Amino acid sequence: MAEANYSPLPIEQRRPLSPHIQIYRWSATMVVSIFHRATGVALYVGTLLLTVYLLAAAGGGVAFADVSRFFGSLIGQVILFGYTFALMLHVCGGLRHAVWEAARGFEPGARNALAWGSLIGAVVLTALAWAGAYLL
Amino acid sequence: MPKPDSIVQTPRARVKYLGVARSGTETLWAIRLTSFALLPLTIAFVVIVAMLGKADLASARALLGAPLVAILMILFVLASVWHMAEGMRSVIADYIRHQHMRELALMANFCFAAGVGLVCVFAVLRLSFVQ
Amino acid sequence: MAEIALPKNSVYGPGKIWPKPANAKRLTEFQIYRWNPDDGLNPQIDTFYVDLDDCGPMVLDALLYIKNRIDPTLTLRRSCREGICGSCAMNIDGQNTLACTKAIDEVKAPVKIFPLPHMPVVKDLVPDLTHFYAQHASIEPWLKTETPAPEKEWLQSPGDRSKLDGLYECILCACCSTSCPSYWWNGDRYLGPSALLQAYRWLIDSRDEGTGERLDELEDPFRLYRCHTIMNCARACPKGLNPAKAIAEIKNMMVARQA
Repeated sequence: MAEANYSPLPIEQRRPLSPHIQIYRWSATMVVSIFHRATGVALYVGTLLLTVYLLAAAGGGVAFADVSRFFGSLIGQVILFGYTFALMLHVCGGLRHAVWEAARGFEPGARNALAWGSLIGAVVLTALAWAGAYLL
Repeated sequence: MPKPDSIVQTPRARVKYLGVARSGTETLWAIRLTSFALLPLTIAFVVIVAMLGKADLASARALLGAPLVAILMILFVLASVWHMAEGMRSVIADYIRHQHMRELALMANFCFAAGVGLVCVFAVLRLSFVQ
Repeated sequence: MAEIALPKNSVYGPGKIWPKPANAKRLTEFQIYRWNPDDGLNPQIDTFYVDLDDCGPMVLDALLYIKNRIDPTLTLRRSCREGICGSCAMNIDGQNTLACTKAIDEVKAPVKIFPLPHMPVVKDLVPDLTHFYAQHASIEPWLKTETPAPEKEWLQSPGDRSKLDGLYECILCACCSTSCPSYWWNGDRYLGPSALLQAYRWLIDSRDEGTGERLDELEDPFRLYRCHTIMNCARACPKGLNPAKAIAEIKNMMVARQA
């Protein structure tokens, strides 16, 4: 298998690797990129929440009452809120990537605006979704 | 495959590695396609979940059993599961360097995504067709 | 796992604090990564003080001030001192750039100087760029034609020539590739923004007849598709080029020939 700092010598005799994540300055686009990945992984795991709920509703063995109580509890609401925010951040990130894949919005002003815009958009959409949930 | 203990490669051999895999664009297309589909489907999903917020078992069953809601949920689940499987493949390929671990992780990813997808679709169908 | 932490032999600690120049009114502190292959020690950060009244305006001037007057063993690559050769690429204050075009005023003191990130270090600020150059060679940066060569030159309209603007000016400094986290974790198989920018330069050259073969050579989940549009490359380029855009265009070409 290929190694990044490949050498047949033992570690003490190899050239050192220069510092990277330890010293590199974080920028808006870098932050928003790792958030996109982190929210993707969180949503991946979070699909279990949907699965459990649907199984309970379909009477597939898990008591609906228990599931409903869990989601209604404080910890359940916190998890759902986190899941909503992750979803909105990932969707806004997806829209940002759609702009970039169309080969637009790469200039310094545009890319920062897209990065900040997706963060703000996610906050707004999360608030809207939860407001809607309480009103409906 | 080069063995780090014995063979020293030329720089060019190291860049060439095992050659070109002749794949990769289908993954890009799958992500684009599922992302495009998931825009309206996610809106539908969020609306459905918002409506389920305070529902008891009977109203939840009635809502999820309705044909339009069931179809939207099934489409959302299938598109999401395909999207997340491709996304996770990318994460695994980035971070897991050991070949055997990578293969195991890719298999686990496929099983998880397929499992979640099938179980959710099963549940929605049951809600539609079974009293 | 991709190594986020530095390997044991690469962990750096505080180093020597060198004496301040006498009778200096405007001093700036420089913290510079040092490593000597001959002493068997781990890398360290040395602190130097530069008299700004006796030094040129650029970070490279400060580095040469240190080399000439304080510590002659400070090792760095430099040549043209005008931002065209690409030799003095390094990480200054957290960002990859050329030392000769980075003004000392633009950087907050203390000025932290490291070699280009996630590269094997030959000595002090000099990275081993062998693999980087091999990646450039692998994309075959020359004109490929089947048609017999014309009597004079291959013709190209001004419109087609303008498509090469923003691509041909690359000075191969490696700032972009070494700023890319994907290149950090998978630089052995991922070609990186620099090589991909050059690949695109040849892909859209209207005189080139090897577009299909060039795209075939990129059809790989690692060579091209490790790019996740993180965008560090476009930020880092000291010549203002945009590798991220070039890569996006390559991806669109890859999709276009399948649809």
